[in-house]
Amino acid sequence: MTNSDSRVSASFRDPSGFLFTRAGTLYRQVNQYYQADYDLLMKSGLYAALVKAGLLVRHSEAAVEARQPALAYKVIQPELVQFISYPYEWSFSQYKDAALATLAIQKRALEAGMSLKDASAYNIQFHRGKPVLIDTLSFEIFREGEPWVAYRQFCQHFLAPLALMALKDIRLSQLMRVYIDGVPLDLASQLLPGKTRFNFGLGVHIHQHAAAQKRYAGKEVKLETATNPRFNKMAMLGLVDSLEGVVKGLTWKPAGTEWAEYYDATNYSDAAFEHKRELVGKFVERVQPKNVWDMGANNGVFSRVAGDKGIFTLSWDIDPAAVEQNYRFVKEKKEENILPLVVDLTNPSPALGWNNQERQSLEQRGPADMVLALAVIHHLAISNNVPLPQLADYFAGLGSWLVIEFVPKSDSQVQRLLASRKDIFTDYNQATFEAVFSENFTIHESEAIRGSERRLYLMEKRAE
Amino acid sequence: MKMPFELLAPYLRPSLYLDPGSGSFLIQLLIAALLGGAFAIKIYWKKIKVLFTGKKPEEVPTPTEPEVTPMVTPEDPAQGDQNDK
Repeated sequence: MTNSDSRVSASFRDPSGFLFTRAGTLYRQVNQYYQADYDLLMKSGLYAALVKAGLLVRHSEAAVEARQPALAYKVIQPELVQFISYPYEWSFSQYKDAALATLAIQKRALEAGMSLKDASAYNIQFHRGKPVLIDTLSFEIFREGEPWVAYRQFCQHFLAPLALMALKDIRLSQLMRVYIDGVPLDLASQLLPGKTRFNFGLGVHIHQHAAAQKRYAGKEVKLETATNPRFNKMAMLGLVDSLEGVVKGLTWKPAGTEWAEYYDATNYSDAAFEHKRELVGKFVERVQPKNVWDMGANNGVFSRVAGDKGIFTLSWDIDPAAVEQNYRFVKEKKEENILPLVVDLTNPSPALGWNNQERQSLEQRGPADMVLALAVIHHLAISNNVPLPQLADYFAGLGSWLVIEFVPKSDSQVQRLLASRKDIFTDYNQATFEAVFSENFTIHESEAIRGSERRLYLMEKRAE
Repeated sequence: MKMPFELLAPYLRPSLYLDPGSGSFLIQLLIAALLGGAFAIKIYWKKIKVLFTGKKPEEVPTPTEPEVTPMVTPEDPAQGDQNDK
């Protein structure tokens, strides 16, 4: 153990091992406690098969000193994923693919005589456009006769939120922000439409499951209620197959949300749109950022200006329908550089969990090399009343370079925002915008977008 | 008096670090026969299908494949400014 070691704060639940960083490199200590399971994972061919299928993160065994040598069996160095995102930031299909990946992993594990001992949605991350399990220590030796220990977690982390998103309201994914260990099944059972009780899968895995949890919570149970129970491998395969069927049956079509029907309403001519894309491309080319965060990306048109140049780009938007479209496009085109995620910029993902250190806030996962803030300033400054100096501070905290579009009051989109309210925004004009942002940034370039009243800026954060 | 823990004790072992939940365990035991049986039938049904169609199980399309909804192509300028909110 060296002084630079730091244990990853979210890695504490499982005694099988833990993550730590040393001199900027991420390692995972595997404890002796987990030796037999780790050896089977590696020797059974399961690890190789899962890595080949892109379902498990690759790792190498590292010849470095363990952080806690007394407990250690091995130290492994996992390949880093592009970004850590959380279930409450996923669109419906991302969430569904993460659930199906978990079940596919469990099926392969069972073939190899192993089983997942947890089914946390936080163990799945999107890497190069696809869901991948990042916790190498999630496997245990399968013991025939035992029910699935991760069943409750799978239902709370995946099935309940997906069912609520598909059958009640897409916005209910946000319950995952509140409940760190997944949506309580009694709550899901209450919120889901009554007809879902008659659907076999949801009836059993959510409604009856919730009822069983309530019935047996701390109450006495007579042994004869489950006479000689035997949960054989066929039952386990049947359970996984049943869950897979339910998840596959859940669908959601992006419609009726905030922007889904708004795509036609534009005040950009084709020429202006093309010019804007050209300018964004020029700024990206000039800076050559290592990564880009496109804040308010809609379905990712401008994210792809950077993504197509091989730059990893996060494509954030508030609208789950836009993010859904964006993700479907990533899948269709097998794009590896775009990660679409849902975020409300007026209330970005906070730090959550034990000691507020298990899940990082949006800002903690930065800073970005380059931030795109295209057609968002009027939403933040006018719809959300954020004063310009606070906006400049916020963007300066988010990344080093900023490509920002100023949308003047005369713009028809701003007029729409002001139509139903009093104009209290006397400082909202181009001159003030430039003066205020110059406090935090150096403005390198700015250009009017042809055929519109808008202006695009390339700014660099000033050294503190 | 039997508590859930005693009933579940044979299944518990030191490597369990999550609380599987007594209700979550018991419901699996209750539906085990049903799910196992249904799965067995499904496998046999697939085998019978293979017998008649001559296709390997991988080639038999699963009816539960998620539907693909056609999406707007973001790069299509005809859609106007996708970013314009």
